[in-house]
Amino acid sequence: MTKLRIAHLYPRELNTYGDLGNIITLVKRLEWRGYEAEVLNVERGEPFDFSGADLVFGGGGQDSVQVAMGEDLCRRGEELRQLVSDGVPMLLICGSYQLFGRAFTTVARRVVPGIGVFGAETTGSSRRLVGNIAVDSPFGRLIGFENHSGETVLEPGQAALGTVRMGFGNNSTSGKEGAISGNAIGTYMHGPLLPKNPALADHLLLSALSRRHGVEELEPLNDELEHLTARVAASRPRGPSGRGPAALHRPNRLHHTAS
Amino acid sequence: MHETVTLAITKSAAALSRALGRGGGHALPGLIAERIDPKLIRKLASRLPHGIILVTGTNGKTTSTKLIAAALEASGERVLTNSTGSNLVRGVTSALIRAADIHGTIDATIGLFEVDEANLRLVAPDLQPQHIVVLNLFRDQLDRYGELDTTAAMIGQGIAATKAKVYLNADDALVASLARYAASPDLVSYFGIEELPLKAPTPHQAATDSDRCPLCGERMKFSQVFYSHLGHYECPTGDYSRPQPDVSIAHVDGADLEGARFEVAIGGKRSEVSFSLPGTYNLYNALAAISLTAGLGIEQSVTAKTLETTEAAFGRLEKVRLDGRTLYVLLIKNPVGFTQVLDTFLIGRPNLRVLMAVNDLAADSRDVSWLWDVPLEALAQSRPKVITAGTRGADVALRLHYAGTEAEVATSLEDAVTELVRDTPPGGGAYILPTYTAMLQIRKLLARRTQLQDV
Repeated sequence: MTKLRIAHLYPRELNTYGDLGNIITLVKRLEWRGYEAEVLNVERGEPFDFSGADLVFGGGGQDSVQVAMGEDLCRRGEELRQLVSDGVPMLLICGSYQLFGRAFTTVARRVVPGIGVFGAETTGSSRRLVGNIAVDSPFGRLIGFENHSGETVLEPGQAALGTVRMGFGNNSTSGKEGAISGNAIGTYMHGPLLPKNPALADHLLLSALSRRHGVEELEPLNDELEHLTARVAASRPRGPSGRGPAALHRPNRLHHTAS
Repeated sequence: MHETVTLAITKSAAALSRALGRGGGHALPGLIAERIDPKLIRKLASRLPHGIILVTGTNGKTTSTKLIAAALEASGERVLTNSTGSNLVRGVTSALIRAADIHGTIDATIGLFEVDEANLRLVAPDLQPQHIVVLNLFRDQLDRYGELDTTAAMIGQGIAATKAKVYLNADDALVASLARYAASPDLVSYFGIEELPLKAPTPHQAATDSDRCPLCGERMKFSQVFYSHLGHYECPTGDYSRPQPDVSIAHVDGADLEGARFEVAIGGKRSEVSFSLPGTYNLYNALAAISLTAGLGIEQSVTAKTLETTEAAFGRLEKVRLDGRTLYVLLIKNPVGFTQVLDTFLIGRPNLRVLMAVNDLAADSRDVSWLWDVPLEALAQSRPKVITAGTRGADVALRLHYAGTEAEVATSLEDAVTELVRDTPPGGGAYILPTYTAMLQIRKLLARRTQLQDV
């Protein structure tokens, strides 16, 4: 049976806000099409051979574990950067996204070095950016839920994943969300992201299948329910305060907080 | 401003709010008092002769409070409590104001309030409670409070603002570590479970937050896990381990959907308890009540008697008879609570009919991603008939789809309830699993058609 191996970074530490749902989605969408999926957990301090990995996933974590995971990740930095240049698809969310940038500076001004897959720097702040988020991307309009205190700034030349239509994204001013380098995608979107955005899930799977097995297209699935949840999420109030309907344009706050 | 005047204003505002149909007026008096006499609460609280008890933690606040209230009443106390689950600052202060007459006299001997985790530090300085119970800390509405460590620190601040005796769950490492905030070590009492007959049937999900040492952050070793991260733990570095409980469930002799029988040990004294609520999570609620009442010097036999008869709190396990069917209403609000409901009531049962109603209003959590941290895969083998509803009914259906169960998304809660009843044969039963605001809506719907009292 045609099989894909998914490397899951620190599943017990980086797993906030239902990020596990992304793994469930990748596995099920493979199985429904007759492929086999194997999820391999990358654990802190334990050896891991990335050469067999067809896809890499990392979720978000609490600030308290960020430092420890960052140290462990840096020991694997060279290997992971090599995978990126080899075109291995990756999805890195929130805490993982930050650690795949150049550095993360915590609120307490501690600098946690990242592995530099993305030309991005993140600084912790005391303010959380929370709410439903919509982003126009090369994979269509993506719907998710963001919840982060880190503000990420992309270096000139670093491509963003997309443009924010509702919510905050990388930071409170740029109007851009996420980063994309080769087949590696970094983003703040939880929700979880992939169940509501099957086109992105299939893009990751097809990239991996084509690389490993020369698969050229994926059998379509019935994604009516997926699209329904995305539409519902986009129509709900944006944040905890519940102010205003979720109009699909940049919210006022995005501009007002710039000063 | 004079106390009598403040009380007159706040109390009439509550009455007016109710008369105008603007809700139960639960929080309004507190809001007004905050503005015109911030010291009023401190004054009223100090007039309760036997002081104040606060109960906090992620899950089980309402049920534990109800169990404690029953035991206190059985021991002769007149209990003032915020029994409607209005557990933010204003809910607590409003309960005090409503209970006071115009001269500030309160017809109660003791105050017992459940308090939201982030609000404990806001009410504790004014209320100066003599007793604080901390049940557990799970992921819940992270969109409000950020992270679990932050929540623990907020509870710690609340404890540190008092000279209260604290009752801590020994089986929850993060909760047990709050002992350091108590005014002195002899003001700490731990409760815990020594042994359970069966381990949790659902696999240990990745989503545990507190399997790390609260002191050094190292992942702890567990010799027993009762559910989520509750169990017997020890840090491999040797700097932290489960404290020996002062009050414990020594062993459970029988547990089913009708409740449990267990032996409780207080110091060296052992006694049997028959408890009317099912589920491991409710064992901890009983234990909290036993621990607290023991601390108050109430005879264990008095507490035991009330544990045998107390019914579940509002929406937590309500049995409603409708057109010859029995509907069980079980509140779900976070992954651990939902998983406990699954384990206790649904997994492995035939002919399941379930309505899952998930809203994303501010009181529920805007973010519904927590549904993906619930091991719903375990449900598929029962081939249940599931209807989903609520503002995020589609999200539940999608989660179930990926977990191997195809659900039907109802267009409204009302349609969903009607259909659930239609699908249930007379004499049969069905389960309704709502989030908080969906539970309130469903109770309203059911109240129209049954004897259920609308609150």
